[in-house]
Amino acid sequence: MATPVEMPKLGNTVEHCLLVAWRKRKGDVVSTGEVLAEMETDKATFDLTAPKGGTVLELFFDDGAMVPVFTNVCVIGEVGESFEEYRPKVPVRPVTAGTPVSAIAGSAQPVAGQVAVAPASDGGPNLARSRASNGAQPAAQPVVPAESIVAPVGRMSPRARRLAAERGLDSATLTGSGPGGRILERDVRAELGSTVPVSRTARYLLESGYEIRGAGSGLGGMVRASDLVPPPLRFTGMRERIARRMGESLASTAQYTLHASADATNLLALRRDIKASPPGTPDITINDLVAFCVIRAVLEVPAVNAEFIEGRLYQRAHVNLGFACDTPRGLVVPVVHHAEELSVAELSGRMSALATRALEGTLGADDMVDATFTVSNLGGLGVESFTPVINPPQVAILGVDAITLRPVRMPDGGVEFVDVIGLSATFDHQVIDGAPGARFLNVVKQKIASVRSLCSI
Amino acid sequence: MFDLIVIGAGPGGYEAAAHAGGLGKSVALVEKAELGGTCLNVGCIPAKTFLRSSRLFRECREAAAFGIILDAPSFDMPSLLVRKDNVVGTLKRGVSSLLRSTGVEVLNGTGRLVGRNAVEVAGERYEAANILIASGSRPATPPIPGIDGERVLDSTSAFELKEVPERIAIVGGGYIGLEFASFFHEIGAQVTVYEALTRIASGCDGDIGDELLKILRRGGIEFHLSCSVLGIEGSTLHYQDAGSAPASDSATYILNATGRAPIVSDLGLEEVGVDASPRGIRVDDQGRTNVPNIWACGDVTGRHMLAHVAVREGIVAVNSMFGRPDRMRYDAIPAVIYSHPEVSMVGKTEEELQAAGIEYRKGVVPMALAGRFLVEHVRETGIVKVLAGAAHGEILGVHAIGDLSSEFIVAAGAMIEAEMTLAQASEVIFPHPTVAEALHAAILKAQRPVA
Repeated sequence: MATPVEMPKLGNTVEHCLLVAWRKRKGDVVSTGEVLAEMETDKATFDLTAPKGGTVLELFFDDGAMVPVFTNVCVIGEVGESFEEYRPKVPVRPVTAGTPVSAIAGSAQPVAGQVAVAPASDGGPNLARSRASNGAQPAAQPVVPAESIVAPVGRMSPRARRLAAERGLDSATLTGSGPGGRILERDVRAELGSTVPVSRTARYLLESGYEIRGAGSGLGGMVRASDLVPPPLRFTGMRERIARRMGESLASTAQYTLHASADATNLLALRRDIKASPPGTPDITINDLVAFCVIRAVLEVPAVNAEFIEGRLYQRAHVNLGFACDTPRGLVVPVVHHAEELSVAELSGRMSALATRALEGTLGADDMVDATFTVSNLGGLGVESFTPVINPPQVAILGVDAITLRPVRMPDGGVEFVDVIGLSATFDHQVIDGAPGARFLNVVKQKIASVRSLCSI
Repeated sequence: MFDLIVIGAGPGGYEAAAHAGGLGKSVALVEKAELGGTCLNVGCIPAKTFLRSSRLFRECREAAAFGIILDAPSFDMPSLLVRKDNVVGTLKRGVSSLLRSTGVEVLNGTGRLVGRNAVEVAGERYEAANILIASGSRPATPPIPGIDGERVLDSTSAFELKEVPERIAIVGGGYIGLEFASFFHEIGAQVTVYEALTRIASGCDGDIGDELLKILRRGGIEFHLSCSVLGIEGSTLHYQDAGSAPASDSATYILNATGRAPIVSDLGLEEVGVDASPRGIRVDDQGRTNVPNIWACGDVTGRHMLAHVAVREGIVAVNSMFGRPDRMRYDAIPAVIYSHPEVSMVGKTEEELQAAGIEYRKGVVPMALAGRFLVEHVRETGIVKVLAGAAHGEILGVHAIGDLSSEFIVAAGAMIEAEMTLAQASEVIFPHPTVAEALHAAILKAQRPVA
């Protein structure tokens, strides 16, 4: 019996996932657990695996589609089995002002023809959600931006539609080279290229997504391959999110950064002790120790543990500590919720587990939300000071720098070299002035300097 | 005040001057020696005149195979020199009349920059809105002891020899050395070429260069590769092959064919601040130097020392200075070595494609596929090689060895300029019977490579 594979829900707040790329094609034979496709929420990527072995009978979405959770994305079964009953109903695109009528009519028409049967065999949230989004009142569904819902068999791909709109090309004049005459981005590019002389070689490249920059440099102004630039790099949902949030952060806040350094003698000594302790003792790193000190400092200066939303300042009771992780997919900030309730060993365990999952790309969406204060450590990369960027609505972020040697004047007048750890704290001046910011930094310094008494290990 | 002063009346300079004159600009052309520059007076044209005679001399020896019985022919250098002077003279008059018809004023003397808009010629100061430096190049003098000896010729003095030398030693296996090697070999001299690199015809496609070496060696020219020339004493050449002990050869003459060097001295470049080094004047794709209103084209830029490149560069510079959009494209420049057999090439070599990591396919066919090639020659061989992009089949390079290839390589150049694919080029109709049909065959071969 054919089995539909649906888009899982990967967190409380996740409503749609990006189908980044299929790893299997229609007709491929798969075994249980094999990767079918690469998916991505706005926070994480994950693999969609086959729940059972068989032949891929049908794929309902193209690469790059935004798919609502609990929607069937493909069907696995025996060759010849029917799968149409699993074809998801396509949400109706809400009509908004400014959307070209032709595009809507174009995308809706063939879809209506092909999706006659609603998924019926299988009840549950899948169907309910499908109905909700495909109900009689499309206007009542404003949550999903029109652009993000992709009809599986629309007349024009969203990228093609966007490009045609950007360049003022009438989509009615285009012929599609995709399945069923679907207009793809390359068709739009080819059409744009046809208004100037383009060499055959350049045309091949245009069709594969290359773009024209400037005027043609060939014979009589002909566009040559060397006049083209490769397609823009694909922005993953995660990169897009980082770009947007960081841009918004700098645009919407008044950030300033203070730099200081804390005596790291005790920090290093404690770390040495931990390393020397018998096997089985938690391996608490310098980063863990600093995080623990920071949580204590935040409790002491609660002004930094707040959210500033549309001119209102909300004090947060718990310290939900976000910590920046560098992963192959980009920056990820897992969150230790209620971090103030944890011992240093517990904190270390939680951070280490979250960091591992961040690297694997298996963090759930809930692991990355509701941080109230963030720590970013670039010290391991040798950075001696930097300007961390606040993740609004948080009002502060602490950057941890490398440990360096500094000559210090001793009370007896002599000079000694002391290990110090750099601290770079960014505050939102809208709510935290310079002196309070500096005071918080001083508290962090004290906590780190006296880390031994703070942590009972 | 002129619109343009051009320094140097070689092909780059006189064509640029005539082009500007044709656009209605007031133009002066400065030349210290003869109109036509190296190419016309002591380069391309005399060389080809010499090679035409040596080929005919060879063909006379092969005449019996064509059904023509001749008494033993002999080679008369003085008559060749007369013919050379006639050819050069005719072309020079052509240049002169071109300049007259386009209203270009020729200033005789050495031109020297004396400002951003001023050139001094024979003590007179002339001003111009634009200055184009086309001073060309001269034979390079490598640091070999004795290179300035009495028995040492360069590519200029070699055109004044009055008799056929018995033995000639050629230092340098580049295109100049190879053309002279073919010439002297065909007129009966014993020829040895000493090349520092591991292969001759550096820059040429590897397969073609190897084939040329094989053919020339088979014909009787001796080659020393990876060979250092240690010094020259009178008519004795001291050299050392890689891994061997130093050795000596004696020859009637020793020909220095180690290349050419841009002429950047005595032009006033330093005074005006033009960015130049012994490797040439630095310019952009339109020929602009770093100094506004001062432009350069041809050999003096040290990029491609080819007359046809200089011409195109000069015209691009003139168009650019007078606001007509134009630019150089360097990916479809044909080049020919007029050795016997000829080597013709345009575009990328297989080695360049490999170095650039470009995936390609190739079609290689023997020239003898073309009936005309067999008609023209007795026992010659040759090959045509077409290189094209693996995915789309865009033609990237064409390399040929075999006589008459110089006359059809331009077709391949046009294909590359137009970024034609193999599929498109295969639709072009080639006249039959021509040697060029070998190009067509290679295009078809590249389209359907043997698995």
